[in-house]
Amino acid sequence: MKIKGYGKMTALALILSMIALLTAACGNGSNNKGNAGSSPDSEASAVTGEKVELTFWNGFTGPDRPAYEALVQKFNDSQPNIHIKMDITPWDTLLAKLPTSWVTGEGPDMAAFSYSLIPKYAKSNLILPLDELYKGDLKEEMFPQGLTKVLKYEGKWYAAPANFATLMLYYNKDLFKAAGLDPEKPPTTWAEWQNAIVQTTKTSGNDKQYGLVLADHATIPMWPILVWGNGGDFVAEGQSKMLDPKTVEAFKVWSDLVNNKGITPTGLTGAEADKLFQSGKAAMEMNGPWMTAGYTAAGLNYDVAPIPVGPGGPATLADSVALVAGRNTKHKAEILAFMKFWNSKESQEYLSLNSGFPPTRSDMLDNEKLKENAFVSKFAATSSSARFYLSGLENYAKINDEAIVPAIQFMTINKKNVEETLQNADKTLLGLLSGK
Amino acid sequence: MHTKRGKWLLGQEKTALYFLLPSFLVLGLFVFWPIINSFILSFYNWNLFDVVHPFVGLDNYRMLMQDERFWNSVYQTGYYTLLSVPIGIVLSLLLAVLIKLPLRGMTFFKAIYFLPVISSFAVIAIIWSFLLDPDIGLLSYYLHEWGIPVKDWLRNPDWAMPAVIMVAVWKNIGFNMVIFLAGLQEIPESVYEASKLDGAGPVRRFWSVTLPMLRHTLLFVVIISVISSFQVFDQVYVMTRGGPVFKTETIVYFIYHYGFEELDMGYASSASALLFVVVLLITLLQLRIFKFNETN
Repeated sequence: MKIKGYGKMTALALILSMIALLTAACGNGSNNKGNAGSSPDSEASAVTGEKVELTFWNGFTGPDRPAYEALVQKFNDSQPNIHIKMDITPWDTLLAKLPTSWVTGEGPDMAAFSYSLIPKYAKSNLILPLDELYKGDLKEEMFPQGLTKVLKYEGKWYAAPANFATLMLYYNKDLFKAAGLDPEKPPTTWAEWQNAIVQTTKTSGNDKQYGLVLADHATIPMWPILVWGNGGDFVAEGQSKMLDPKTVEAFKVWSDLVNNKGITPTGLTGAEADKLFQSGKAAMEMNGPWMTAGYTAAGLNYDVAPIPVGPGGPATLADSVALVAGRNTKHKAEILAFMKFWNSKESQEYLSLNSGFPPTRSDMLDNEKLKENAFVSKFAATSSSARFYLSGLENYAKINDEAIVPAIQFMTINKKNVEETLQNADKTLLGLLSGK
Repeated sequence: MHTKRGKWLLGQEKTALYFLLPSFLVLGLFVFWPIINSFILSFYNWNLFDVVHPFVGLDNYRMLMQDERFWNSVYQTGYYTLLSVPIGIVLSLLLAVLIKLPLRGMTFFKAIYFLPVISSFAVIAIIWSFLLDPDIGLLSYYLHEWGIPVKDWLRNPDWAMPAVIMVAVWKNIGFNMVIFLAGLQEIPESVYEASKLDGAGPVRRFWSVTLPMLRHTLLFVVIISVISSFQVFDQVYVMTRGGPVFKTETIVYFIYHYGFEELDMGYASSASALLFVVVLLITLLQLRIFKFNETN
């Protein structure tokens, strides 16, 4: 009896201590996490006084990453009292983590994400309005017009640009030469363009070649450029434009080239399209400035040109990653200082020269150093005709993924009738716009 | 009642309970509690971006029933299961029987076939996506060289799912094979000798001896395969992202999309609650058959 009781007590004690250990371990874990931001602070503040550490989450995993890292380092070196701690993760991981952490009262002081998410985050009050940012050194007229529009939501500023990009036509000079085209004279009109595309497309035999690779999903949007070039659109002032005759015509012309001339494989992702261009299997591709470094390193003989002008006038796509302030931050003043620094002329000059992106500001077009960089100046020059896709819409992702991408895929992969497909897409789009 | 209570408090059970407590706590905290919570979430309009999360009763389920995209994912999951389970089982059984043959080098092959099982699905999916690429893929290159027409595999709505299935079968074949091998070891040699004496040839021996004696193993493999194909996600996520035109969007991918891309947790939870119930029912049904076989 005694022995039994003793055994029981030991077991109980053992279990209790295990539980204690377990909970202690858990508690420690979360404590650590909570302190990660503040403990270096308190240590630092004991020494220097008021050092603030700002956490900054972003997805700059691309070839331009070193440029952003260097810029943050420059800021840290210039500021005795502010230290930016960057956490770089792939965009999809970041976007799954960010809202959860902000909703639960945690998350970073600052984050960077696509302009297209600003309406959604602003509407849910996950990011802070930043009107005061544009009342000092930074002014609205310093930035391209389209860009300032997408940084606002319901009349209030919510972001500063982290970068600004436009798409241009990349073309392979060797393939142009081989097809009997002048590699120094890229096409300037749709007629010339379509001719060059067909000329450089080889559909038979073992060495297939594509005139213009068009990605339709998981990509920087390419099809909108073709629709805008014809004077069509997707959504304008809250109304669906899917059945606008110009939109329908654009899809007819280009899906015909895809389906009947084989100018591109169908169902491509952006990365697959890039691979085709990089391996010399595609003569042309519409892409942003981030690819110049990679294509040059691959030894490709290529150049960039403005997107050829269609019946609807010059058009290309604009894209921007935005800097935003998380709703739980206690350091708004420091965030504003960082955003100002990021968008100063010196910083933008540095970023442009090291990332290949045009500057976020439109008042730097005559900067001598940028002019010397052929690619940067070319991309910067197209900013006046660049438009943001589905701007200002809270359900950007849903509209793109459920209405527009499936429509493009139905027309090209499944070779479905253009009018019918667009009618269905219009129905889906109307449902999404009315906020089902 | 009283006596039962007395029994409940008996020392031994009490001790057992103490020993169970730690693992029950961990399981409860990280498995049961989240499951229960997601059931509760499924009755709320719980989008992370919304400021309020009202109780909506069965609305999520009602919407789900009318959601074409959900039914498409059910259909695609069914298609995947119906193809991948039988093909995977037949092939792995065949391999197991072959590998049991008393020939040299069989251990080597056993290891080879098991290799994909211990590799990460994400890595395998990336490699296969590259192999299958019609323009720059290795497989397509050789098929071209031999004059065999190349499909656009992963970008073709009709061929994307078969390609995903093929990769899944290729990956899982080793796992099933090892289980079948274990089952084959259990069959006493004497039964084979007896059937030989009775004049049964190799084919007859397979149908009349091997297969019936493997019944339990077979059922186990079927249950495991069906459950895992209802939960197929990794290779779809890596290889096709549910496309082209939703042709490889499975139920779990659908749940992932709504839960972690749209952050509509309520809606995603209702879909996962449904999946949970369906998998539970199928498992119970299969266990029933399993038991039935045992008693007979």
